[in-house]
Amino acid sequence: MSLVIEQLLNGLTIGSFYALIALGYSMVYGVMKLINFAHGDLFALGSYLGYTLLVMGTAYVTSILGIWGGMIAAMLVAAIGSGVMGLLVERIAYRPIYPTGRLPAVVSALGVSIFLQNAIMVVWGARPQAYTSDVIPSNILTIGGLRINILQIIILFLSFLLMGILYYIIQKTTFGAAIRACALDRETAALMGININLIIFFIFALGPALGGTAGVMVGVYYRRISFIMGWNYGLKAFTATILGGIGNIPGAMIGGLILGVLEMLGSTYISTPYKDVFVFLVLILVLIFRPRGILGEKVAEKV
Amino acid sequence: MKRIKNIFILLVIVTLCLSVNALAQKDPVVIGLQGPLTGSAAVEGEMAKQCVETAALMVNEKGGILDGRMIEIELVDDAAQPKSGALAAMKLVSMKEVVAAIATYGSSVTQPASDIYEKFNKVNIAYGATVTELSERGLDYFFRTCGRTDTQGMFFAEEVVPYFEAERVAIMHDNTSFALGLAEEAKKFLLEAGTAELVYFDAITPGESDYTVPLTKLRETNPDLFYFTGYFSEAALIIRQAREIGIDAVFVGGDAAINEDFIRIAGLEYASGCYMTQEALIEYFTNPEAMEFKEKYQEAYGSLPSSPWSVYAGDALMVLAEAIDKTGSTDSDVIADYLKNEMEEFPSITGSIGFDEKGDRVGTGINLYVVNDDGSYSIVER
Repeated sequence: MSLVIEQLLNGLTIGSFYALIALGYSMVYGVMKLINFAHGDLFALGSYLGYTLLVMGTAYVTSILGIWGGMIAAMLVAAIGSGVMGLLVERIAYRPIYPTGRLPAVVSALGVSIFLQNAIMVVWGARPQAYTSDVIPSNILTIGGLRINILQIIILFLSFLLMGILYYIIQKTTFGAAIRACALDRETAALMGININLIIFFIFALGPALGGTAGVMVGVYYRRISFIMGWNYGLKAFTATILGGIGNIPGAMIGGLILGVLEMLGSTYISTPYKDVFVFLVLILVLIFRPRGILGEKVAEKV
Repeated sequence: MKRIKNIFILLVIVTLCLSVNALAQKDPVVIGLQGPLTGSAAVEGEMAKQCVETAALMVNEKGGILDGRMIEIELVDDAAQPKSGALAAMKLVSMKEVVAAIATYGSSVTQPASDIYEKFNKVNIAYGATVTELSERGLDYFFRTCGRTDTQGMFFAEEVVPYFEAERVAIMHDNTSFALGLAEEAKKFLLEAGTAELVYFDAITPGESDYTVPLTKLRETNPDLFYFTGYFSEAALIIRQAREIGIDAVFVGGDAAINEDFIRIAGLEYASGCYMTQEALIEYFTNPEAMEFKEKYQEAYGSLPSSPWSVYAGDALMVLAEAIDKTGSTDSDVIADYLKNEMEEFPSITGSIGFDEKGDRVGTGINLYVVNDDGSYSIVER
């Protein structure tokens, strides 16, 4: 029994990483109908920014803010850095291309992804880097045979908090209503007096900011970060987006969590080397029987 | 007057430069280096390049080979991918001036690349490809300065297991042809020896971060010796996660599992006390060639290469330089023949080198190393 709970907890943790990254894909797709393939690398960038603040400035940062304060500071720095980079990417690589259609923008996104990945390699080196243990100690709690990493609890708490805040903004505020309106129909929303540019600015800053925060969490939790990590996490998060229903914010959160848990349970009870097969099988089944994803809105084709 | 003097000095300098240039005009001997300069193994490629350049510097500073011809390196990138490996080999064989190739890192990349070199009769020396079958294909021009997996697997089963008096052994790999090869050789010799029981044998997926699931399964089998044959990047995560979920078996890594980066990522509290079966590590060498190599490398790059494979690339260059110099020929058949039949106990960077009929190195020194509390290694005396 304790094995199941341990694996569920592991699945939720990895799922919350996927969910945080998936939100970025989903928000951008919702408003722009563009798959931002550079998003995974913005996540990796956040991880490296947090690493730079924490590991290279260890003594300084943690002496002022304490260990947990330092971690929060690293997340803030990563969020701001990734957010700014997200805006730059939109301005430089996407905006000039929008008028030519959606496909060229997707190709441009892939180009940005390759560029960012290699830029990270040039700046921080090809070697994998580590969030060393003097920065973030790991504490294992043993409760009745159940081994729980305290970091897991903190990461779960923080990511649910972030997702909760985002959910509130999108679903309960006027600004959120404006975003949802843009996702439904950009032209009409503009006619109703919604400042489209502000919305685009917001989603391209907030999506990567959440991704960057997840990057720091991954670094703190697994300790190893590498310049190619963005691709792997990006692919899984993108899968989660589709699973939950692309363009739908709560869908991205649920899709990420489900994917994480499926991955863990699949590899525990079916086969570890085949766990990705299992995950993608579930995705294919969902797409066959419910093409819009778990929470996706019914797509009405515009003619 | 002053102006004329200045012009005169300038003329002298220009003439000097030109004449120096003319002296160096003697055709260089070009040796190709194929390695993963980009992609997931870019670290290895970068270090291999540095090691080969250092080795070339050692040869060139002593006046080069063939009466003063300098050695030049021609780099090609294979991104650690089999397909690019074949393309990179094609690129090298298409260059007339390239005499021989040092190629490459990764068994799955070396396999297609060595086929290309064989087809175009070019001597190729692998520096990071230990899969046994590579030299069992009857190739005439394939050599390697690194060891083979089956020697290491045998070493694990016949030396390491009895040393720890282990009864329950777990072996984990990552399905890459290198790690799977080593794991299967170890398994084979372990079953043959029959001294210990193999309780776990399974693969993980490389490139991920969470290995708690396979490790939990491994924990249930209750091993007392845990052999991981994959790469350092995963090994660092695995040792950490294994200890955190309560696996206290002795951890032994294969020869790609433990290096400085492993220790840095895993953290000393987890890395110390880990063992590895390993080819020769350059830090512990005291022979004159290694000392000179270490000094030159340190001078140029500020640290020592963190993996042994790149040093074997340096070895490959020394071996080729010696063969070309001694035979006075740049012909592939002459070089291959010299390497197989005449080169014996040639003192290179990692000790004496010779080759058998299959192109495998004669004289590797695999050892069991332990990571000490301060992050250094020492050889475990058995």
